[in-house]
Amino acid sequence: MERDQLLGMIKEEQAKNGSVSDGAMAHIAQTLHLPIGNVYGVTTFYSFLSTRPLGRHVIHICKSVPCFLQNGAMMAAAIEKELGISPGETTSDGRFSFELTNCIGACDQAPAMLVDDEVYGDLTPEKIGEILKSFE
Amino acid sequence: MGDVKLIIDGTEVSGPSGMTILEAANETDINIPTLCHRPDLKPEGNCRICVVEVEGSPRLVASCHTPITEGMVINTCTPKALAARKTVVELLIAGHTGPCVTDECAKDCELHYLAAELEVGPPRFQVKARRSYPMETLSPYVQRDMGRCILCRRCVRACTEIAKKNVFSMAYRGFHSKVVVDCDVPLDKEECRDCGICIDYCPTSALTKPNKGVS
Repeated sequence: MERDQLLGMIKEEQAKNGSVSDGAMAHIAQTLHLPIGNVYGVTTFYSFLSTRPLGRHVIHICKSVPCFLQNGAMMAAAIEKELGISPGETTSDGRFSFELTNCIGACDQAPAMLVDDEVYGDLTPEKIGEILKSFE
Repeated sequence: MGDVKLIIDGTEVSGPSGMTILEAANETDINIPTLCHRPDLKPEGNCRICVVEVEGSPRLVASCHTPITEGMVINTCTPKALAARKTVVELLIAGHTGPCVTDECAKDCELHYLAAELEVGPPRFQVKARRSYPMETLSPYVQRDMGRCILCRRCVRACTEIAKKNVFSMAYRGFHSKVVVDCDVPLDKEECRDCGICIDYCPTSALTKPNKGVS
């Protein structure tokens, strides 16, 4: 078993195709002589890896304690209202996917979110609306 | 008799290096409760039921996977260790409580046995949304009710280490953690035959033999 290469291969697949499909997981499992469940386990453990296809832009709202104490849950609700989707879903036009994540290291700007690789801090529901408008 | 000397609950004990605290204790008839550990599986220290106090260590250690070292002084029944064990059982029960509290299976449930033994009182922790999964009845050999699973991983290890089948894996994270088959599909795998080892190793009634349809 070549477990130490597993995460690298999953990340590569995610970077190349935007998500890790069942087929890709089966292929990685076969290459590394691992049970497919192990590949699925690692992929589902990380919020920055996805087993389903994602939209053009991915919103990650932080659900860790510092953001939570600064009304992080209200920001998640604002996104749900703005886009009409819940965490784990993608808008029907494929523009946004919405995910919850653990700490993104921006506690000084809590509540914070990531859109793709960009950090947006000190959020308010109004600010979220403005930020999302700038994405096609 | 081995070469590593230590003291457990005031008794001098010795054992070969590599021996765990739990094994050393058992040799001297000192009983430490366990849940995720079984002597014939590789210890993982998942459940923390077997925690003990080691003098000089700021934290409690899981005796099932901590090796003995020379001069260790261990106390297995301190108030701190007992309180930790109790809380672990309470937390497990909070997420686990399903029909098995009231139905027949409770008497066979190791978790409920431990709760009785450790004198765990009425539930302190309320879970907003219990972990609930549809019953998996596809396989003619093993029926899975993952709402009753306490994530001890004994089935995962028994299937991998003893049956050498690798049917189960751990997936997801935190509260959503789950023992899965492949990409989280209901159990119905070619490799999974009627060995039933996972059922024997399951401490709760999450894994059972189907009542009918065994061909």
